[in-house]
Amino acid sequence: MSAVKKSLVVEQLRRNQMIELLAQGKRMDGRGLLDYRAIKIETGIIPKASGSAKVTIGDTQVIAGVKVETGTPFPDTPDQGLLIVNAELLPLSSPYAEPGPPDEGVIELARVVDRGIRESQMIDVSQLVIKEGEKVYAVFADVSILNTDGNLFDTTSYAVVAALLSAKYTKYEMVDGKLRPTEVKEALPLRTIPVSVTIAKIGDSIVVDPTDEEEAVMDARLTLTTDSNGNICAGQKGEPGTFSFDQMLSGADTSRMKGQEIRNLLKEATGYTG
Amino acid sequence: MTTVLLDDRGLRHDGRRVDELRPVKIEVGVLKNANGSAYIEFGKNKIIAAVYGPKEVHPKHMALPDRAVLRCRYHMSPFSTDTRKNPAPSRREIEISKVIREALEPAVLLYDYPRTAIDVFLEVLQSDGGSRCASIAASSVALADAGINMKDLVCACAAGKIADQVVLDLDDVEDKEGSGDMPLAMMPNFEQVTLFQLDGILSSQQFKQAFSFALDGCKRVYQLQKEALMKKYFGQGEPSMEESE
Amino acid sequence: MPDIRRKYVIPGELIAEGNYRPVANVLRVGEKYYSTRVGMAEVGHEGVRVIPLSGPYIPRVDDLVVGKVVDYSAFAWEVDINSCFFAFLPAQSVFGRDYSPAEDSLTSKFAVGDMLAAKIFAFDRTRDPLLGLAGPGLGRIPRGEIVKITPTKVPRLIGKRGSMIRTIEMATNCRLTIGQNGVVVINGSPDGVLMSLKAIKLVEEEAHTADLTQKVQALLGQRGATA
Repeated sequence: MSAVKKSLVVEQLRRNQMIELLAQGKRMDGRGLLDYRAIKIETGIIPKASGSAKVTIGDTQVIAGVKVETGTPFPDTPDQGLLIVNAELLPLSSPYAEPGPPDEGVIELARVVDRGIRESQMIDVSQLVIKEGEKVYAVFADVSILNTDGNLFDTTSYAVVAALLSAKYTKYEMVDGKLRPTEVKEALPLRTIPVSVTIAKIGDSIVVDPTDEEEAVMDARLTLTTDSNGNICAGQKGEPGTFSFDQMLSGADTSRMKGQEIRNLLKEATGYTG
Repeated sequence: MTTVLLDDRGLRHDGRRVDELRPVKIEVGVLKNANGSAYIEFGKNKIIAAVYGPKEVHPKHMALPDRAVLRCRYHMSPFSTDTRKNPAPSRREIEISKVIREALEPAVLLYDYPRTAIDVFLEVLQSDGGSRCASIAASSVALADAGINMKDLVCACAAGKIADQVVLDLDDVEDKEGSGDMPLAMMPNFEQVTLFQLDGILSSQQFKQAFSFALDGCKRVYQLQKEALMKKYFGQGEPSMEESE
Repeated sequence: MPDIRRKYVIPGELIAEGNYRPVANVLRVGEKYYSTRVGMAEVGHEGVRVIPLSGPYIPRVDDLVVGKVVDYSAFAWEVDINSCFFAFLPAQSVFGRDYSPAEDSLTSKFAVGDMLAAKIFAFDRTRDPLLGLAGPGLGRIPRGEIVKITPTKVPRLIGKRGSMIRTIEMATNCRLTIGQNGVVVINGSPDGVLMSLKAIKLVEEEAHTADLTQKVQALLGQRGATA
């Protein structure tokens, strides 16, 4: 058995203790089942990036940096700019993270966050074209995970969204077939604020915003993303356990309700009023 | 567009005097999961250092029977530079990881932890000139925070040359447009140099001056390292240990 | 009162000069004594030592530790004791001398994921620590909440002759098992467990300060045992 696996062995008595407490509607850290831990959103912390944000939920800390550069559009979407979301679990983020290429968990994380933002059509990519079929803007959102204590999906998602909301990018112009930067800096063309909400099933209880300890004993995870109009625009179920139909439906309600609260936090932190 | 590196009043492009350090801020214990951690702002550098260990070595044959293995990874976030950096480690990052490890190793009492590994992870969130020196300063504070036996802290600072004048602590612009960079790290209480690199031509006079500037910069960084540790551990309350078991 | 000089130190700081005995976490170079840790330096007739405020757990023979079974082979369980070394509990020490890997199954006693209270039976620089279960209160821990504290602060959580443990136990009606390795098991009602967690957190944060027992009593809202 590898060192990583050994360290992740869960104390069986911890799971029992937790299920017992959850059945009484209590959590180890004193929260209610549908309470998030304290969410802190800071923007503009990396001046070299076009947009940046640090989000902490409890002890989970991530930083997202947005870089807007120019690139070539995909052949099948010549009239659209590019959005690329990439996440990296830094080896300094936990005793179990190792340097090297991202493992399947981190790839899933980056892709789920990417989908939430892409599918909500948060960015109007049709406005990110400099010359159709030749040059477009490419929006890179890179996420560095600094410390893990559960719920990376939401923390990462909020960090990317906050970085995009606060981003300013340099406009380019085509002169004699060459790209030239202008003095103009603009906010990204945005249409909505997607917010993901992650719930975990532990025994028969449903909690939002699971900690590391809760994730270690959870049966299943569900991440649902809503847009500003309350539409659900992306979702992902993870881990081998299952959700009942009722749990899925009330999960959707929870994500709408919690999503609206968190959307207000994001607006407040970024000053975005759209 | 060329920058005036040194104006006729003897001030640098950012308004500093030749022997002036950029603003430095150090915070200890910023990551909960790590055994020790520190955050440093050194000019525009923003760097996190984390220490994990001592811990079991994997693969096992990498372990040394009589002492700990010190490992070091210096990495730059993709958004840390002006144009996006590819997240894969570059040759530059690999070399810097090595010299940082060798700068720290003399200070860590590795023989106290046989058959284990001590990992130092450095993440550059925003880069500026002198990121290796800032990384070393943060690492050594993080090692102390982790409670690993050390002979001394390691402090670091660079000197360099711009417009034929020796100056302390180059920033990004001066590093690119100047004519010499000399990072230095040392153990302040034992007066031993643990890292030295130089690129650029210095006359023997300039070398002496650069060395003296860098040592002076190191000592100032040491004071800030010490203050940061004191603040984290003894920030409040009167000393007392009499109630212990 | 013996004359003891105390001061806060960081690694590399000069503590004293002269002829002393280096007791713990001190580096002697000639006649000079330097700290190797962040902590409280003490210079007295016993010698020079630093009481550290952070650091890993290094096993010592006879320490009580709380560990987690993470693996097993035909001859021993492997136990995570919150240290840089995994510890081994030999099958013979549980089944007796006539243990036979062919007939006895290790999982019939302890499974992966079980928590154990054990003593460090043997340990030196060259090999991993061995555990033993001979003694009152040692063995599998059936239930309870687990919390980790900085191992160097365990003496403060125990208190002088156990005063701090008693204070917390009496006020919260919980039972605490404190491993020298910084792993603590709390048993009691859910509310009592939550109260104990708060008290332990306070000890962790204020371990270097005076009047710690009073601070914990104030937090728990009633007077516990006095030393």
